[in-house]
Formats: sequence, structure tokens, C-alpha cells
Amino acid sequence: MDIPISWLKSYVDVGVSVRQFMDDITMTGTTAESLKPIGFELDKIVVGLIEQITRHPNADKLVVTKVKISENGEEPLQIVTGATNLKVGDYVPVALHGANLAGGLHIKRGKLRGEISDGMLCSIEELGYTKQDFPEAPDDGIYVFEQPQPLGADVREVLQLLDNVVEFELYSNRSDCQSVLGIARETAATYGNRFVLPTVNLKETASGTASDFIKVDIQNENLCPRYIARVVKNVIIKPSPQWLRRRLTLSGIRPINNVVDITNYVMLEYGQPLHAFDIDNIDERQIIVRNAHANEQFVTLDGTNRQLDETMLVIADKNKAVAIAGVMGGENSKVTGNASAVLFESANFDATNIRLTSKKLGMRTDSSAKFEKGIDPNLPLIAINRAMELIEKLECGEVVPNMVDKYPNPREPQKVEYNPQNINQKLGINLSAQQMEDLLALLDISAKNGVAIVPTFRPDITGEADIAEEIARMYGYDKIPINQVIDGITGGGKNAIQKSVDNIKNLLSALGYSEALTTSFESPKIFDKLKMPQNEPLRNAVKINNPLGEDFSIMRTSPLNGMLQSLSTNFNRRNDFARLFELTKVFLPTSNGSSNEPILPTLPNEPIYLTIGAYSKNPDKAGKTGMDFFDLKGDIEELLASLGIANVSFVANANVPQLHPGRTADIKIGENTIGQLGELHPDIAANYEIGTRSYIAIIKLADILTEKTPKYVPLPKFPAIVWDISLQVKEEIAVATIEQAIKEKAGKLLTEISLFDVYQGSQIEKNYKSVSYTLTFRATDRTLTIDELPKTAILQHLQDTFGVTLRDK
Amino acid sequence: MQDKINELQESIQQKVSKIANLTDLETMRVQLLGKKGEITQLLKSLGTLSKEERPAAGQLVNKLRVFAETQISTIEQKLSKEKLAQDLQQENIDVTMPGRRRLIGHLHPLTLVLNEMQDLFIGMGFTIADGPEIETDYYNFEALNIPANHPVKDEQDTFYTDEGFVLRTQTSGVQIRVMEQNPVPPIRIIAPGTVYRSDDWDATHAPNFHQIEGLVVDQNVTMADLKGILILFAKKILGENIKTRFRPSFFPFTEPSAEMDINCFVCQDTVNENCPVCKGSGWVELLGCGMVHPKVLQGCNIDPQKYSGYAFGMGIDRIVMQRYNITDIRLLYENDMQFLTQF
Repeated sequence: MDIPISWLKSYVDVGVSVRQFMDDITMTGTTAESLKPIGFELDKIVVGLIEQITRHPNADKLVVTKVKISENGEEPLQIVTGATNLKVGDYVPVALHGANLAGGLHIKRGKLRGEISDGMLCSIEELGYTKQDFPEAPDDGIYVFEQPQPLGADVREVLQLLDNVVEFELYSNRSDCQSVLGIARETAATYGNRFVLPTVNLKETASGTASDFIKVDIQNENLCPRYIARVVKNVIIKPSPQWLRRRLTLSGIRPINNVVDITNYVMLEYGQPLHAFDIDNIDERQIIVRNAHANEQFVTLDGTNRQLDETMLVIADKNKAVAIAGVMGGENSKVTGNASAVLFESANFDATNIRLTSKKLGMRTDSSAKFEKGIDPNLPLIAINRAMELIEKLECGEVVPNMVDKYPNPREPQKVEYNPQNINQKLGINLSAQQMEDLLALLDISAKNGVAIVPTFRPDITGEADIAEEIARMYGYDKIPINQVIDGITGGGKNAIQKSVDNIKNLLSALGYSEALTTSFESPKIFDKLKMPQNEPLRNAVKINNPLGEDFSIMRTSPLNGMLQSLSTNFNRRNDFARLFELTKVFLPTSNGSSNEPILPTLPNEPIYLTIGAYSKNPDKAGKTGMDFFDLKGDIEELLASLGIANVSFVANANVPQLHPGRTADIKIGENTIGQLGELHPDIAANYEIGTRSYIAIIKLADILTEKTPKYVPLPKFPAIVWDISLQVKEEIAVATIEQAIKEKAGKLLTEISLFDVYQGSQIEKNYKSVSYTLTFRATDRTLTIDELPKTAILQHLQDTFGVTLRDK
Repeated sequence: MQDKINELQESIQQKVSKIANLTDLETMRVQLLGKKGEITQLLKSLGTLSKEERPAAGQLVNKLRVFAETQISTIEQKLSKEKLAQDLQQENIDVTMPGRRRLIGHLHPLTLVLNEMQDLFIGMGFTIADGPEIETDYYNFEALNIPANHPVKDEQDTFYTDEGFVLRTQTSGVQIRVMEQNPVPPIRIIAPGTVYRSDDWDATHAPNFHQIEGLVVDQNVTMADLKGILILFAKKILGENIKTRFRPSFFPFTEPSAEMDINCFVCQDTVNENCPVCKGSGWVELLGCGMVHPKVLQGCNIDPQKYSGYAFGMGIDRIVMQRYNITDIRLLYENDMQFLTQF
């Protein structure tokens, strides 16, 4: 809400700079958001008096003027102009040498066709205004002041071009602040004064009484708690005076004519929207406030046809609607120059209903914006009278005495009880009951002995906590002490799971993976992009009712798309490698969307996945940015080992649609499959435009959250003994099964088994491979000898199980 | 004998002075002190002497042996030193060549800032609570004293699912869940997490971002405590020189409500009238806070007559952007390695 500071100052004293005022009122709870200085771009423009006009010796269309700009006998300025509307004795705006005009125009002394011109005489346009703003200005030519002005006076001040418009951001519970007077009340309170509303004086010169002219019937009192109608006769439609037009313009409202301008002016001043109808267009002069009919058609003031529904409230006569209540009037009843009498409406409408109506119709007007915050139903009376006062002052017509006021259930001030001690306790301050009462009085809340009488414009105050806030903000939040002593201790810290998550993140970063973060929203198209089968349960996603677009219309059920998108981004930005991990929540509906059974839906499950994704354009760059299946597998092994997870195995799985059928493994802890790891399927890589082999692992986080504390194992006292063996086996036998077989026979003395070579080639029979292991044996109580190793048993077992033979000794 | 010894001693002295490397020295040592060396031979020949001659001769030969050993070891030390110096000279490398760097990963800047905040609050006795991102209307709105027709529930602000759930617009639902589970305070928790608002992606907005909220409920908790903890927080996270101010605000779930501003990080000492960040006020909003509304406590079966509490909440993404001079929020969600490895 924009308020010109000059308007505010006409009701309340502000003895400080605008910036200071903005700061002060913000600190009492009315946020002054920004400042728009008006007219300050104009500079060095003064009032001058034309003393002489002579023809320009060298130009027919120019004249040379002598302009006096001071009273103390200084030489008048010589200024050349092309204007034809001037005469000697005119007072005009003079832009001096060095002056700045609207639009950044800079004025310098110079010669025009050989004659010195020491400045410029200004039109209203050159000052940044139009004839709209200053109707007395000529259509074409220099602005001439209507009255003599002090010579040399600053034109910005004479024409009142300087102002500061302050933009306020209002809280949704403070509808009382959405007006100049509301802000004036807060301003006064900010500086310790109590604000008194200006009094309104009416002459009511017309004959008759309002009820002779109009009848009002409210059919829905819930949606329209109050309706006041007043009548003005002999209306003269004309432009409003400059001061009023300017206040409207600075507040962001376009002036139209005196009647419309007055309704807008009072809306800005009091926060009460008003509406004016041509009374001749109200059939039988009977206002009916009713719900719209289903599919009722209505043309609003802006010429648009609107289709209404039964939830909406309209102002109607016996035959037709004439306005959508609180939102916009109708084309059929708008006030034109021919109106014999005008009906002014000042009413109160239900805030929520107005908001929903304006939303449904897609039309948020100044009026609906005010109503939807909820306005005090006692406000329409004073606002309508203020409008009538302006009608009389501005000589727009004759006000008919009295009014029709339908107000079946008047709102009364509410009593709110509070305990000063509780308030001191809650705020951490120590005010006396009297001090609290004085602070509340600044806000028109009269309090005594723990009972506050809250004015009807403050429906937000309903309990002790609200009273506490009013006291706190009037006392000053900055005066509330700062306490940094904690009274009583609590055992803070992370729980085991949170620590484990930290651990996992740190380990992955040590392994060279950077942490990614992706959005939860996805497009339903990604299911096909990821080649998910039609019956894949992950296709059942949580759908967003009001998405930002189809691409963001479901909640992810798999972390894969986000990771692949990130790899793709990196690849397409020509990054040589990417190594990413993410801990991602996915959202799995707990009910099967399509079911028609009337069961109450339950919240989706939100399991978290650890996703790792990596590629390298130089896959062989071992140990650094290199990346292949075994790099990633090694990192996962390292991660799980560091987490203290034993019994990890990897089993080939050719059936993950997104991964390479020959290069994918299930990751298992014991019998439990915790995830998959593999090379990205070329089809999927193509779908994501990743032009190199990528590797992906997805692990269910819950399965690797460990709370184990490792137990110290005594350091070995006796040396180990190693046995290297090279075995020739059929190429299809997986090394894991050979290792398993060795372990079965090696006994407790075996402490480590490591594969150091796999060879296929000329030295080896076709369809066979050579695998070489180093077996490390150690006893805890003695130095082992080579003869103690269970060599024969192991070799025999391998021979029996796989037909494995020893290649060399 | 005496003559032979003298002769030998003289020849040792001469030879030693000419020896230029360790190999020649070793040859000489063998010649003199080896199994068949000249001095060894002399020692062996002592046996041929008479009993009377032997002690004196023995003394002389021993003296010669000590002399030879000393000479050799002195020259050996000298030559070794020279050789080491030579070797070191040859092993010169160009230390300005690049080191072989290992690859380490980087935590996301959001995690880094969040970790710092968590550490700070943990140090003050807070625990960390978590809750669902898809919430019921009750936990996201109703329990927070946001009435049924409140504008914040509009679809232009809040995402709804086809089953009528809400993508949480704040992590406050976690606070409610914690209070319901702990009807007997003290409660000191923070709730960090992803939240959702119906904003299109642009440089400063994202439809999902991150928040951290805090809640303290106990006996005698005051607004002075709230100010105390948040001022401390601002100084620890944003720097000791940060200026703060509390001003009245409105949230349905707190009363009194406040906003904490910090001094504008663009304007610094002299406020710029046209500053796009603070709009010339010198202050920018950091977080919202307040005393927990009695209705909220009541809804969780906590007696507002006996207990009071405060709550606060702020966006983390903006703080991250401010700290690292990140000008576009979308960078946080793109996962470009060139971006991530800067932190």
C-alpha cells in the first residue's frame, strides 16, 4: 500500500525525516517497506515574471523574453522561447542554467539563432506532468501560474511537486491499517500519542430523506452484515481538484471524475470501499443483496461479461444484478454525466466470500483486496459520511438527509482479560499495570484491572497473548532484555541415525564423491525415459494437483532421474568427470490411487536412498578421476567396510532395466539385497544424452545405518605366512565362488585372501582362465610353519568342486 | 721390525693422502687390515719372536694398527660426506612441477551451512527432529492456528496432492509432532528440512528449498530468551560484527511474533538509498520468530498456563547464497562439478 507522506502528515505530526519515520513505524509493527521520492529529479526551476517580449531578430517563430527571477533588482534573464501563449506579466516556471527537468533533460546557457538564451521557460510536460494533472495548463505552451508567486521561489514547492511515497507492507491480520487514517493511528502511537479521527460535518441541503429514494433488502446477512445507502441529488460530474487527483495518483489510483474519485479517496483514507450507482438504473429503487443465480451473466464496469455462480454475492434490483458485491460494479448502473441522483453504497461483506469470488472470477480489484482482509462493520458509517462531506465541499451535488442503514447485528467492542504478571513473565520485562494500560491506550484499547476493551476495528485481539504483543510493540521490542543464560539443561546432540548419516556423507566425500541436491518434482514422462515396465510399482507416484507444469507434476518415486539429470548436466557442460552422491527422499503412495473404496488416504512413505553416480571421460585414470565398474564397486566396498558392515556380497543381476545386463550386481548384506550397482544401460544413457559410460549405485539408506562401535582386536604378535597360488579354472566360474571354496577349507588361520591376477591368453587353455591369489595365514599364539597350512585340503576341495588345477607352485 | 713398522707407517700416510674414492679406500683397507693384509701379517709374525721381544713388538704393531684404522676411518668419513653431497646433487628435482593430487569429494554448501547451524544449536542443548515432507492439512496448517480459509492455503502458494495432502510449506509440522510426543517439556529441538512453495524457478526462487526451525518449550521461557538465543545464532553464523534488530510481525502460530533483521550485507556501513537488497533501510530480514501461540500449545495438550515457548524459522538457501556470494539459487540444484568442488 502506497501512502504519500504529505497526506499522512495532514492528520498526524511526523517530526522526523521520512527515513527515520519509516524505521520508527517499522519497529512498532507497521512495515514501511520502501520509499519512492517524488519530484526530486527536478532541480533549479524557479518562478519568473515575464517583463518584456520582443521578436527574435533572426527567427520568425521565436521570441526573446526578459524574465525577472528575483525581487532585489538583479538583472532579468534573457530567454528565447518558441511559445506563443505568453504575455508580459505572466508568472512562469524558469529552468535556470544547470537545471534538470523531467526525463533527464539538462538545461545549459546557450545561443538560439544568435541570441543568448540564459535558461528555458517550461511547459507542464517538461516538469513531468500532463494537462490531466494540471487542467489549467495550456494545450500547447508554457505553463502560466494562475496567481502571482514570489519571484525565484522553487517551482517544486509552489506546485507541490515534491513528495515521498512510502510503501507499507501490511500483515494479513491488520485490516485496520489498510488506510491513511489507519497508518496515522499507528504513527501517532509510535510517537506516544493517541490518535483522534477527524470529525465530519454535513449540511445535507437536499430536500427529502434517503428512504424516499431507496430501499435496501439484505437477503444474506452472513455475507453482508451491513449495507448503508445515501443519496446525492443534482450531481455535477466534473474533474476533481488538483490536490485530490494528485493524492490519488501518488497512491496508485487513476483519477476519473469527481464522483468516482471521491469513492476512491475515501477508500484510501478510511479503508472502506464505496460504490456509486446511477439511481435511475436501479429498478423500483430497491437494492437487493442476494446470492447470484447459477450461471447468471453480468457485465462488469470494465465491459467484460462474467459468469457468476450461487456462492457469489451480488447487489441487485428486482430485475438484475447491478454489482458484484465488494468486487466491481456493473456497466448497467455506472454513473455518467446524465445521472439525476447518485446512490452511494457503503457496506460490509464477508472477507472469505469476497476472496473466493474474486479468485474464481480472476479479478482482484482495489475494493476486493480491502474487503478480503476483513473490515470493521462499524466503518461504513463514518466512511459514507466522509464521502458526503467531500461531495459538499467539492460542490458535486446536494446530499439528501439521512441514510438507509441495514445493520442487523452490530459488532460491539470485545472484552479481553489479561494478567499483567503473565505478560511480564512472557515478555521477560517488568512493567506496572498502569504502564501497560497507558501503552494500550495509545491503540484505543481502554484497559483497567486486567480487562481490556478492544475496539471493533481490532478483531485480531482475542486473548492475553494478543494483549502481550500490543504491549510489547508499544513498549518496544528493542527494550526487551537479551537473556543468554539457559535455565535448566537438556542433553542435546544427534541421534545414532543422524550420526550415521554424517558418517556416510564424510566417507563418500573422502572417497571422492561430491554431494548433489536435486528437486523432488518430476515429470510422469521419466518413467518411459527410464524404461520402467508398465507394471512397475514405482510408476504409482504422488500427483500434484496444482503443479507448476507437467514437468513438475509428480513427486519422485526413484532417485535415479535426478542423478542422471545431474550427470547429463555435467557431461553436456564438458566436465571431464563427475562423481556425485545424493541422499534423497522418495515418495511412495501407500494407497493405490485408482481404488474407489472410501478409505481414508494415509500419508505416503518417504524412504531415503543413497544414490551414487559417476562417469569419467578418461576411465583408465586409475585412482584419480578414473571410473569403471570396479572403481565404483571398490568404493562401495570401502564405504560398507568403513561403516563396519560385514558379510557383503555382490550377485550378478541382468534384470535391472536401467542398467547394463552384463555389468550389474545386487548388493547384499547376508541374504538381504540392499541395492544395485552397475553400468548405465546405453539406451538410458542415450535418453539422458550422456555420451560416455556411467556408473550408478542405489542403496536403501535404512539398510546401512549402523550403530556399531568397533571392538579393538589385539595387534598380531607372530608373523604371518603367505601362500601364492595360481589356479586354472573354467572362465565362467566367478571368482567369488572360488574364494568361498578356499575359505571353506582354509580354517581359522586364514586372515586374508586377495586376488592379484586374472589371466586369459596363450599360456592358458581355451575357455579357461588363470586366477592368482595371495593367501595370508597367521596364528595368534605361535609362528606358523609352511607345513601347517591346509594346502592339500584346499586344493583337493577346489579340484572336487570346480575341477580346478594348480597352474604352478 | 721397528724399521718395517716405520716404513709401513710412512707408506700408509702417503697412500691415504692420495685416495680419492671409497673403492680405493676399501682396497687399501684390505691390503693393510684384511686377512692377508700387511698389518695382519705382522701381527701373525709376532709368534715367531722370542718371549722377551714379543711385548714390545706387539705394542708397536698394535699402535700401527690403530694408526691405520684411524687414518682410514677419518678419510672414509670425509669421502662419505663428499659422496652423499654428490648423490644429493644428482637427485635434484623440479619442485615446481605439479603435485599428484588425490581426489576428494565436497559436501554440498547447504550441508556445510546446515552442519554449522546444527552444531551451534546442539551446543545449546538442542536435538534434531525430522518429519514427513508430504503432510496432512492438520500438521501443516490447522495445528498451527491457520484457519480453514486462510489465504496462505491458496493453491497459488501451496502445493496439494491428489489425495488432499500438502507439500509442507514449513517444517513446523515437525514441531507439532514433537510436542504431541513430549507433552511434558522441556523441549529443545531444531527441525531442518526441505519445504515447498508454489514459486516458479528463477534466480531467487525455487519451488523447493530448505528451512530450519527451532522450538523451545519449558517453564518460564520468555521473549528475552528468544532474543538471546537468536542474537547469539546470528553472531556465530554470520559473524561477530553483525547487527540485529527485532520488530513486530505476524504469524498465526506465534503471539507475540517478531522478525529478526540483520544489517544489510550489501550496504555495510553506509546505507545506499537505492540498494536493491535493503531498499535503503539498511536492514534485511533474516528470520521469523515469536512466542508459541497458546492455542498451538493447547492443541498439543501442553498447558499454556504452566509452560511457554518460543519458535523461530528461516530459509537456509538464502543464507548459503549470501555466505558464498551465490547469485542464482538454481546453481544449488544443478550439481555441476565445477560448482560443487568450490566448497
